[in-house]
Amino acid sequence: MVERSQTEVWRLTPWLVIFLLLGNFILMVFNARVEGGERVIKVWALTAADFVQSPVTTISSGVSNYFISFAELRSAQDENTQLKERVQELEVEIKGRSDLETENERLRLLLDLKEKSKYRVLSARIIGRDPSAWFNSAVINRGSLDGVALNMPVVTDGGLVGRVTAVGPLTAQVDLITHDKSGLGAAIGEIGSSNALGVISGTGKSDLIEMRYVSGSIEVLPGQVVFTTGQDGIYPDGLKVGEIIEVISGSATVPHRIFVRPAAGLGSMQEVGVLLYEPEQKPDFESSLSPGERTNRRQGTTP
Amino acid sequence: MEQVKVTIALILAVLAQWSLRNVAEPFAYVDFPLIIIVFAALQRNSMRAIIYGTLAGLAVDALSSGLLGANGFTKTLVAFMVAELARRVYLDNLFLRMFVIAGACLIDDLAYYGLHQLLGVPPSAPLATTVAYSFIGTLIAGTIIFFLLDYASSDRLRPRRRETLSPRRQSRRRNPIKLNR
Repeated sequence: MVERSQTEVWRLTPWLVIFLLLGNFILMVFNARVEGGERVIKVWALTAADFVQSPVTTISSGVSNYFISFAELRSAQDENTQLKERVQELEVEIKGRSDLETENERLRLLLDLKEKSKYRVLSARIIGRDPSAWFNSAVINRGSLDGVALNMPVVTDGGLVGRVTAVGPLTAQVDLITHDKSGLGAAIGEIGSSNALGVISGTGKSDLIEMRYVSGSIEVLPGQVVFTTGQDGIYPDGLKVGEIIEVISGSATVPHRIFVRPAAGLGSMQEVGVLLYEPEQKPDFESSLSPGERTNRRQGTTP
Repeated sequence: MEQVKVTIALILAVLAQWSLRNVAEPFAYVDFPLIIIVFAALQRNSMRAIIYGTLAGLAVDALSSGLLGANGFTKTLVAFMVAELARRVYLDNLFLRMFVIAGACLIDDLAYYGLHQLLGVPPSAPLATTVAYSFIGTLIAGTIIFFLLDYASSDRLRPRRRETLSPRRQSRRRNPIKLNR
């Protein structure tokens, strides 16, 4: 290795700093302008990080489960007595409701089957979070080898979590719906029964998203549920997004400002599901025109 | 040998930054790579510290939703500033080093936020809260890590550690009679 004198190091350092700062700045500008420009670096980093993140998550969850079970053991005796009493009460109730339960179970299975046949769900575990405190993405232990692709929606049993924004062979990065850059088409209430359409975007807070552009003339109340519309070309329709907790009422000309709490517990989730859903590719405007219309459009004339 | 130890510490810091937030959310507010970069810069090897700054910053950016190169930029800048400061001022006292870690953390966070605002990708987290928590987290972790790194560092540097909490030095007066000998 070449040993440099101290004077030489002091002379070279500012040039090295300028070179590296410039390099980093160019990378940033490129990344800010071109969506997905950093993809190759991200894929390699995700793959390398998996070898660290997976064991750390496994060990930490094992240790935390051990301590939780140890803590729970202390209150187990009291709970056991209470539960025995409760079981006796419930047995009496269950006898009266067995017919209803059977019917309910049968209908639920039918409903589950219908929902499951709509999209394939790939279960995944969260093995990492954004290393920077300024953003809040997550890394899951499923990648392109499992069939995960860019922009696939990620959900929990509660509701929508976000979408896949980078995919490595073994892992993938998920941007949450609370992310400032995220946006999705949503409706208040079920599609078809509601005309309160708007756009959901992040607020920067981990447990709050905002719904914008809902006409101020439509009545909106806290407690109503928000679903995806599928019009954004990324998420399928009918996924539960969250529940309205606050409405700043608009007027006939000013839209409402609606604050929604995400239905998926974004702060505490450990397991998620990736919907293996790819939206239909919409043809671009030029190719949907007939040859005659295309010629007229190029010449700037209207038929 | 010293270089190898700092390099290993930097790799461990990046791996910790990648994984520990999933273990406990407060670890998001500890900037492990920044602590090691400041430590490297305080050892008066500015070129090494600057290169470490860029590499560690890019490694963190690669797994973040932020702009690729933002952490690389800020950490390079911080490494250069700390190295230049260490060249001019004697900073081997732990209390002074704590001030340096605190200042480095503030500059790093504010520059990171500013760059994202400048390029139209504002960060999701609020500025004041994130800077405050990062300041506290990185300062506490930095003090502990500096103790550990000092302990693990070479014999050549060990005598300096005694100055951490040492009493004020007493200057010995020379006997004027012996001066002419």
